[in-house]
Amino acid sequence: MSSQRTAVENLGARGRSWGRIALVLGIAGLALGLWLGSARGDGFRRFEHAWLVSCLFFLSLSLGALFFVIIQHLVRAGWSVVVRRVAEIVAANTLVTALLFAPLVVQLLRGDSSLWPWADANTVHGNPLLEGKAGFLEPRFFALRCVLYFGIWILLGRWLLRRSTEQDTAQDAKPTLALERRAAPAMVAYALSVNFGAFDILMTLEPTWASTIFGVCFFAGSVIGFFALSILLLRFLQARGFMRASVGVEHYHDLGKFLFAFVFFWGYVSFSQFMLIWYADMPEETFWFRERFHGTWANVSWVLLFGHFVLPFAALLSRHTKRALGVLAFLAVWMLCMHAVELFWLVMPTAEKDGALVSGMDAACFVAVGGIWFFALARLAGERSLVPVGDPRLPESLAFENS
Amino acid sequence: MAESQPALQSLVAEFDDVDSVSAAARAVRDAGFQHFDVYSPFPIHGIERSMGLRATRLPWIVLGMGLTGTTLALFFQWWANAHDYPFKISAKPLFGIPANIPITFEFTVLLAAFGAFFGMLVLNRLPEHHNELFDNPRFRRATDDGFFLAVEARDARFDTRRTRELLQSFSKHPVVECHASTESRAFPIWVRAALAGAGALALLPFAGIVNARFRDATSPAFHLIKDMDSQPRYRAQAANPYFADGRAQRPDVAGAVAFDHFLTDPKTLTGRDGENFCGTIPLPVSDQTMLRGQQRFAVYCTPCHGQAGYGDGLVAQRAANLQEPNWVPPASLHDPVVRARAVGQIFDTIRNGVRTMPAYGRQIGIEDSWAIVAYVRALQRSQNATVEDVPPAERASLGTR
Amino acid sequence: MTASATTQAHLEEPYARPKLVEGAEDFGAVTQRVCGVLERPKPPRAWYIGLAISSSLTLLLFTMVVYLIATGVGVWGNNSPAFWGWGIVNFVFWVGIAHAGTLISAILFLLRQKWRTSINRAAEAMTLFAVCCAGLYPAIHVGRIWVAYWLFPFPNQMQMWPNFRSPLLWDVFAVSTYATVSALFWFMGLVPDLATLRDRSTTRLKQVIYGFFALGWRGSARHWQRFERAYLLLAALATPLVLSVHSVVSFDFAVSQVSGWHTTIFPPYFVAGAIFSGFAMVVTVMVPARELFGLKELVTIRHLENMNKVILATGSMVGLAYSTEFFIAWYGGNPYERFAFMNRAFGPYAWAYWIMIFCNVVAPQFFWSKKIRTSPWLMVGVAILVNVGMWFERFVIIVTSLARTYLPSNWGYFKPTWVDICTFAGTIGLFFTLFLLFCRFLPMVAIAEVKGVLPAAHAHPEHPKGGHDHG
Repeated sequence: MSSQRTAVENLGARGRSWGRIALVLGIAGLALGLWLGSARGDGFRRFEHAWLVSCLFFLSLSLGALFFVIIQHLVRAGWSVVVRRVAEIVAANTLVTALLFAPLVVQLLRGDSSLWPWADANTVHGNPLLEGKAGFLEPRFFALRCVLYFGIWILLGRWLLRRSTEQDTAQDAKPTLALERRAAPAMVAYALSVNFGAFDILMTLEPTWASTIFGVCFFAGSVIGFFALSILLLRFLQARGFMRASVGVEHYHDLGKFLFAFVFFWGYVSFSQFMLIWYADMPEETFWFRERFHGTWANVSWVLLFGHFVLPFAALLSRHTKRALGVLAFLAVWMLCMHAVELFWLVMPTAEKDGALVSGMDAACFVAVGGIWFFALARLAGERSLVPVGDPRLPESLAFENS
Repeated sequence: MAESQPALQSLVAEFDDVDSVSAAARAVRDAGFQHFDVYSPFPIHGIERSMGLRATRLPWIVLGMGLTGTTLALFFQWWANAHDYPFKISAKPLFGIPANIPITFEFTVLLAAFGAFFGMLVLNRLPEHHNELFDNPRFRRATDDGFFLAVEARDARFDTRRTRELLQSFSKHPVVECHASTESRAFPIWVRAALAGAGALALLPFAGIVNARFRDATSPAFHLIKDMDSQPRYRAQAANPYFADGRAQRPDVAGAVAFDHFLTDPKTLTGRDGENFCGTIPLPVSDQTMLRGQQRFAVYCTPCHGQAGYGDGLVAQRAANLQEPNWVPPASLHDPVVRARAVGQIFDTIRNGVRTMPAYGRQIGIEDSWAIVAYVRALQRSQNATVEDVPPAERASLGTR
Repeated sequence: MTASATTQAHLEEPYARPKLVEGAEDFGAVTQRVCGVLERPKPPRAWYIGLAISSSLTLLLFTMVVYLIATGVGVWGNNSPAFWGWGIVNFVFWVGIAHAGTLISAILFLLRQKWRTSINRAAEAMTLFAVCCAGLYPAIHVGRIWVAYWLFPFPNQMQMWPNFRSPLLWDVFAVSTYATVSALFWFMGLVPDLATLRDRSTTRLKQVIYGFFALGWRGSARHWQRFERAYLLLAALATPLVLSVHSVVSFDFAVSQVSGWHTTIFPPYFVAGAIFSGFAMVVTVMVPARELFGLKELVTIRHLENMNKVILATGSMVGLAYSTEFFIAWYGGNPYERFAFMNRAFGPYAWAYWIMIFCNVVAPQFFWSKKIRTSPWLMVGVAILVNVGMWFERFVIIVTSLARTYLPSNWGYFKPTWVDICTFAGTIGLFFTLFLLFCRFLPMVAIAEVKGVLPAAHAHPEHPKGGHDHG
């Protein structure tokens, strides 16, 4: 019965043309960004920060998708089957991010400490906090860990997509059962790698500062980013005639619920982190927030509080906004912007101590990474069905209705 | 219809499964009925659509209650901690949003939950202690495995015969009539009496509080729990059978010596040299002594003798204003008679009093008494000084005088 | 199309969802099965034995409380460096247990986990009983229990207000709100079932008592509509509430500057631990309860297996939090933090730490095995280990940090007194006494909710969605 309703749909030629557009934009952005970065004459220090923000943004979308896909298999969810393939493709799109991220690590190995200050022996020397962990914050070891994290993410994403695609044409449910069986260990690998990956890549930008919840905060932001992207991608594809028969308002409603839940979760963990540090008032911790309330950074912090939490929370509270697709799409765009602002706010204060400054280079880097990332995404989607047509729970997902 | 027959309330059809009751509900809805209801042992998915029910406004009640909770909690925390009783603790602002979030959140949830629960009850008009439907013994199935549909007689489209036919066409069971209860809907008299009695009893504590609050009491307050306010103790002159001498107050052990009192010279202790008052202060006098004397004089002597010792202290002034007949005005310390007295006599006066002046020996220590004497001497000299008393080096500063 | 759906139904998962309850297929059977427990003239002998033991322990609790109040809080082992250590450990332990019920009722409801209907009633009741045990500690630890109401803000002759910026006051609000909302939630779910009991009552007394609390419920569709909406709203409110309660409990520790306490991951980590311990307690009590009262068809092995999976997941989260804490304590470079964690693992309380690690991190890993996950008595063994481990977690956090604070002159070794131990044993007795009474006098399974998930409860839709039907 599923074969009637959901004919195999794939992007095909249109996907290739979208990919080419994205690639052209990405290369143009890269050229512009490099030119603007070199024009600054700071040895690409500021450029590296902007590049890191962009890489993290697109990496986090994949990580959020990875979480979503694994948890769907783990709990054997039925409702989400029709929207899962898009998530799988996003989740599998980490190889390109790894390649885009690699130059930063190469620079680090070559002794460039402009991004991660602990790579500079002069900074470490005489600072007991840094000397104590010099063995851990060591460029080669760091690079090894990055390889490990990205390796886990790439393997997980690829494996989930491959097995799921196999199910499209399989005669029995073997691939699905395999996915379900291995979802739990996959989740363990995911949790460990994201938690410690966030510590390594993001938290060590400020090497004397530490917060145990930091990984969870990054994770929450990533999942928000993914749900927002997922809503937008589905709207985009449906507006161009794809997936119209399979995805309906009920699925958007559920995606909206998850977006809402993670907006709340993000508020919860971010508030916990802020409040605990604010309350205990220990200078070795508070300086991190002082930097982010210094000068114009304070405005960004307030924007995050209201834009990333209060307003979307209030807006998504009602079931009507989650079912009004125009409103939901607007909120998804809004949350993606806020997610970018959050990453900017996490990374950039180390480079821009005096206040928040966005330049054309930031935008160029964003377009560069984004363009190349979307090119890879379109290639990955390629000839694949956009809906897991062979999934045993597809009928359940098609019939799904919120009570 | 016979007069004794109570009014027809509704027609009730019984069903055995969800599909048939839903079909009947759709038919009744499509026939244009408004006042009808379905009864089931669990919520039937989609029945509100079959019946054509509108969405409930409960979410708005909950939202309203939640926002009320947020506002109240924020306002009250600000009012209590930053306005009515402000106190700084652990360097936190009196009203710092991060520290006030948890309680605000909890209170929001509490009131919203009240809104959901009590709002549901109020909208459903529950609790209800009696309903005619229960008169039908078969209706007990409504909480077990039966499904019922009742069309009320007050509906404009209600027609006993045709409605019965409509219902009967869906149901295998006979459609029954539900009549208004013949019994009174009021609670039995004993229930009402018990409620009234309980209500009256519940008011008693408040009456007690009002009584205690607005009436003068002659006996001490009654404490259920004594805490440390009223501990058992013996008064100084009370008897205590525990001791052989029966006294509660224990005398000093024989041979006990005061720990901090080593003055032994009789002149210092009494101000007398044999029979006569001594003429010099027996303790060394220094600047500290004079300052101490000035300070003690201000505390103990100025109320009557006045700041400068003229006998015009506030007590004396008030007594003079009131024209107290028995009042003996305090002596001016600058009276020639007083000035002529030996220091020992002034000391003796301070210690033991004179005429109406009480003895201050119990309140002012020996050293302090001598310090006051020294200060009084200085005060007397200051009021009767000549230019010769000023040190030669400073006479020039007196200038034109 | 009908044919294909039918053939699929014969295949095993994932082509068709397994049945939620076994045996009892029609509504009357569900009613009979659940109400039968209450209507049989005598409960099983094991019930009497259990009640005798637990009520004796409850008596012990009351004796200890009276002794405490009459003598003073000095009878607790408070005069060592871990002031209030025992009281706080047990308070947090019981509050943690209390999280499972609302989690099952609220979060699993929002996640459309229909298997919850068989266990949510008992789990919610457990929540309330655990909150009773938890609430006892703050009330009695003040010594002068009659002034315990000073915890709440009320206008008084001293014209003072409590400090709303203090985590201890947050605790008062969080725990009392949680107790209230859980009780409302539980009672609301009970109302339709009490109506069932009312309508089945054979004696006037039962009819009056059940009827009084059934509030005149008669299953009207208009009532059900608002009831379901209220249930959904309460679930949506209770979900963040569950998160907040144990977060607030964790704030008690984490806002301070004590090494080993001040760490930002405490809120979610405490919540995960609370769910972990609460689910373990549900498994511990539900396995014997379903055996005793013949509810195996309603509370199936699959329900228990799902619970065990949640235990495995939350246990692993707790393990992740332990490792994160340990790593950051080292990475952060603060010598006091480093010392606090080394002291936990290798100091005088190392025995407690390794018990905790074994019970909380290692023991749940047994649930990777489907065999252990699905054999009732093995899972009870693991669940009991988890309960022990979660008690030791609180002990390790609270006592090791307090016994080795910044001032070495304050160091000491905490030992509970016999009163401490008897009081804790008494709370366990109170918990089980209340639970056994609940099993005997109230429906242990949510009758109406289970009926709602039976296949027969689903009407055929009025307008079948085009091209697709239920076969």
